[in-house]
Parts: sequence; structure tokens; C-alpha cells
Amino acid sequence: MISSMKKRRQGRAKPLVARKQWSVAMCINHWAMAVCIVILIISGLYIGRPLTIGAGETWQKFSMAKVRFIHLIFGFILTALFIWRIYLAFFSRFHADWKDFFAWLDLKSVYHQVKFYMLITTQMPEHTGLYGTLQSAAYGFLLLMVFLVVITGLILYAALYRAGLGGAIYMFSRHLEGVFGGLAGARLIHHILTWGFVLFICVHTYLAFWYDIVSKRGTISSIISGRVFEHSDI
Amino acid sequence: MALDEMFSNQSEELRACYNDLMKRCEVHLDKMHQKLPPPKDRWNEILNSHGVSRRDFLKWCSIMTAALALPPVFTPKVAKAAGMANRLPVVWLNLAECTGCTEALLRTAYPGIDDLILDTLSLEYHETLMAASGYQAEECLSEALEKFAGQFVCVIEGAIPMGLNGKYLTIGAKGKTGYEIAKEVASKAAMVICIGSCSSYGNIQAARPNPTKARGVAEALKISTVNIAGCPPNATNFVGTLLHYLLFGALPALDRLGRPLWAYGKRIHDFCERRPHYDAGEFVEEWGDEYAKRGFCLYKVGCKGPYTYANCSQVRFNQGVSWPVMAGHGCIGCTEPDFWDKMAPLEKPMADHAPLPLAGVEATADEIGLGLTMVTLAGIGAHALGSVFRGVGKEKGGEE
Ligand code: SF4
Repeated sequence: MISSMKKRRQGRAKPLVARKQWSVAMCINHWAMAVCIVILIISGLYIGRPLTIGAGETWQKFSMAKVRFIHLIFGFILTALFIWRIYLAFFSRFHADWKDFFAWLDLKSVYHQVKFYMLITTQMPEHTGLYGTLQSAAYGFLLLMVFLVVITGLILYAALYRAGLGGAIYMFSRHLEGVFGGLAGARLIHHILTWGFVLFICVHTYLAFWYDIVSKRGTISSIISGRVFEHSDI
Repeated sequence: MALDEMFSNQSEELRACYNDLMKRCEVHLDKMHQKLPPPKDRWNEILNSHGVSRRDFLKWCSIMTAALALPPVFTPKVAKAAGMANRLPVVWLNLAECTGCTEALLRTAYPGIDDLILDTLSLEYHETLMAASGYQAEECLSEALEKFAGQFVCVIEGAIPMGLNGKYLTIGAKGKTGYEIAKEVASKAAMVICIGSCSSYGNIQAARPNPTKARGVAEALKISTVNIAGCPPNATNFVGTLLHYLLFGALPALDRLGRPLWAYGKRIHDFCERRPHYDAGEFVEEWGDEYAKRGFCLYKVGCKGPYTYANCSQVRFNQGVSWPVMAGHGCIGCTEPDFWDKMAPLEKPMADHAPLPLAGVEATADEIGLGLTMVTLAGIGAHALGSVFRGVGKEKGGEE
């Protein structure tokens, strides 16, 4: 620990430079997904437990249908964003980061990372890839959750809308339903995943700020500007 | 109207397709006409004696034609097939069940035409209805199996318990197990129709913890069956499937779970008469409240219509008089496999369902989700305090 502190002291002399970490596409994708997911969580929880509007005539009201409409629109945007994100992971011209999602395979650094998160050690583990070890697992898990929520969402969508896309995937989705235990199963999984996203947002936001403070690299601003700050060796 | 005339403004392809279908249908109906045993009573006489006019019968035929997704030119063929239905030998097995399906299908105050067809089916064996019993009944069965081998339709009502080597269900003087009987009869049948959710998927007998290891027929015998799911199912769906078989000698298109798509292709929710209330955000909050009286949607008191494929909302029950949602209780999803486990609690919306199939875990998805979020937030608070206390990132902070 002392040696690392020394190293860092020496680093003081080195100039602080901005290094590009995220491409513009990645930043846009991140924030678009964030907005979509928040809207989807709110509208989704509303659909699960809608409010009854007693006053007025039935034909004058359309509240549930409107919320469902919003939910579907943003659901499709999320689907597109997910596909875009997967594309970026493999074919991004700046940095195709699919390999970085497997940083957690290095169990030794996972151990170190856990110690750091648990505040047992104050020495920040350095990571070579884009993400820290636990971070890589969490983001991989997030993409898996998005995938599942999109699939179950499409199944529920195709059950009702028979024209266009719904019609095109109808027979396929009827078969896929079985994997999730019918529409009811798909619906329950869809609902449980909602809470998965709520939890992810809590932890992700906190750790992003925490990391920003701890690492002093400008983690938070990096997902807007695309740049982190480092003490350059040159 | 001739076929060509009717499709004059349709594409060549469609016309050719329906022409083929029509030819196939004609050939098959002729074949059936020669092959099937003579009727016990003539169909026209049956209709007359029940006071059903020819006009009513034809009206019904055009409804069935539409239900089977056939163009109107097929109506006379459907009429012919319906007239032949009482010549089709049927062996009806009652296994582990409550006889509710038989009751629902046969006991009607004012029989419609589907009920008449069911009443007059050439039932060679049906434990509830036959006069014979004991050894005599078993003789009837083996006689029918021999006489109509490869020709009769086997209708199975009830699940097959597989536990104790099938001994949870033994029938008849020789004490054969349900599994043995079903296996023997099904192997000789032209086709097996499972009537009701028990024979289709096991239903309540197969609900957790399923002590008798009850299974649906298809799963138990490892054969493919047509499943007319429902608890009880609708007579129309059964009769339509029979008509399809008589018309084309083939089964209608089935879904993944063996249910005919023409009847189970859409959800209850899609054609529910309370659906406008659903879209308007008008829900019954509590049984018997003001909103219930106004006929609002039953989604919040646990209607499973959105997750259930069936046509109850279109064809209804008891001569189209009513159906569960119309009567004021939500759909319980009885046409779906394992609905006792999956749809429970039946009177709570999906958001109130327990996500874990563990005994004793009663917490709902929302409760668990909210609880975990609280724990997480508390953890975050503790971590933040801990970080300040431990001074993480301090050594760098001091420098700048
Ligand atoms: S009562 Fe049930 S099936 Fe009817 S609209 Fe409401 S949720 Fe759908």
C-alpha cells in the first residue's frame, strides 16, 4: 500500500490528460437505454397495478391503453437499442468491447475487487479492460436481463397484435412461450425483471458516483463527454 | 354460389388452393360415407324430433364453417359432415376426472346443434351413459375395439395417474389400470381427442404436489393428441374438431400444446366484452363494489384472460347464454397447462403472484422487489458511510 501511495505521489508531477473511453455511439446508447428503462419501469409497474378511473363515461377514457401504448413504443425503442448495443460490442469502430464483458473470469482480481468494494482494502484494483471484474459481470447480467425482458415483451406483444411484426413472429412466439411456461409465465418473468432493473439502477448509480469520487478520473462525466482523465506518463 | 364465382376477384393462387381443398373434401366425404357404419337414427329425423328446423341447422352450419376459417362455399359440406357425425364410432374413456366434461357437454336444458351432435354420437363405450356394467361393459369395449379397429375416435376424459405403477386408478372388474386401458384403446384408434384439461395436461390431479403423478394423455402415453382444453371445454370446440376430421380426414392445425388453432388461437382477453373497460382504465377493485355493478374489467381481481388462449368470450357456454367473465368472475385460465399452479392465486392480479414456487413463500413479486430495493438502499447508505470512515480514495484526494 505504501509503495502504491508512493507511485501515486510520483504521478502528481505528471500532467492530467483526457483519454477517450466511450465512443459517441456508446454514450447515446447508454442514455437512450437509461431513459427507456426508466419510462418502461414506471409504465410497466402501472400496467401491473393500474389505477381505476371511476368518473366519466367509458368512451371518454383511454388511460390503460395509453400507458400500454407508451410502454410498447419504448419497449420497441429498447429492443432497437439492445440490438445496437450488441452490434457495438462486436463491430464498434472505436472499441468493440465484447471481450471486456468477461473480465470476471479472472477470479483473483474478482477477489481483490470484492475486498475493495467491501472497504477491506483501500487500494483500488487496476483493470486492463474497459470494465472492472464485478462491473463486467454486472453489465453482462444487465444485457442478459434486457434480452430476456425484450423476448418476454415480444411474446406478450405478439399474443395480441396480429398485424405486421406481431403477425410475423406469432407462430414463433407461440412456441417460445413454452420456454417461459406460457403467457402467464412470460408475464411473471417480465414483471420480476422489472425489479431487477430497479435494483440495477440503484447500485449502478451509486457505484458510478462512488467510483467517480474514489478514482478521481471523472467517471460520471465520461459517459457524457466520452473522456476519462489520467495522469499521463509521457 | 360456385367456388369460381366467389373467388372471381381473388388471386389465382387462392382460388386454386380452395379448389384443391374442395376436391379433397368431396373425395373424403364420399369415402367416409361408404366406410362408416349406417346410422342408428337418421340425422334429419333427430333434428325434427328436437324441433330444429332445416333453416336453423343450415345457419348453424354456416357459423361452424366460419369458425373453422373456411369460405362459405363449404357450408353444404359442413352440413353433410354434421349429418354423418352420428355414424362415427366413438369410444369415450373416463379416467381420473370428475365427469364434469361429460356433464357439461351432454346435459343441456335446450340442446343446441353441437349438443345434439354430441348426444347422438355413435358412442360404442361410455361408462357414464352405457347401461352395461362389470364384465358386460368390458365386453362392449373389446367388441368395439375389434369391430372398429383403426376407424373409431378415442375420446379421453381425465388424467392418467402414473404413480404406484398406475394403481391409483383401476377400472372395471379386471382391475386394469387407467394407463393400461388408455394405452390399449389409443393404440387402435384413428385419432385420440383429449377432452378437458385433465386428459390434455393433467389439470388439478397434476397440480403440485401431484401425489399420484397424474399426467395428461399425450405425456403419459407419449403419443400426439388433439387437446380440447378447458375445465370444462366448450362443446363447439369438440364438435368443430370432429367436423374437421370428417371433412378432410385430417386434424385441424394445432398449436404447440395440441389445441386446435381455430378455437385456441386467440386469447380470452382479445374478445372479452369487458375489454373496453380495460382499455379505459376501469377496473373492479373489490368483489361487489360499485365498479363491479357497472360491469368493469376484472383484471385487478385476478382475471387471467390476458394469459389464456381460448374462445370462451366468443362462443360462450350453455347455448351462448353466458360465460365466467360475463357472470362476474375473472377467467382462471383453465385451458392452459398447470393453471392451478401458474395462475394461482386465482383472484389476484399477476403483480401479486409469488415468484418462487417454494412452499411457504407467500411474498409477491412486488413485495420481494420492494424489500430488496430497500435493503439495497440501506446497503448503499452503509457503504457510503463506511467509505467516508475508511477514507477510500483519500490518499489521492489529499494530493490535488
Ligand atoms: S375481464 Fe379479463 S379478459 Fe376481460 S378485459 Fe378484463 S382482463 Fe381482459
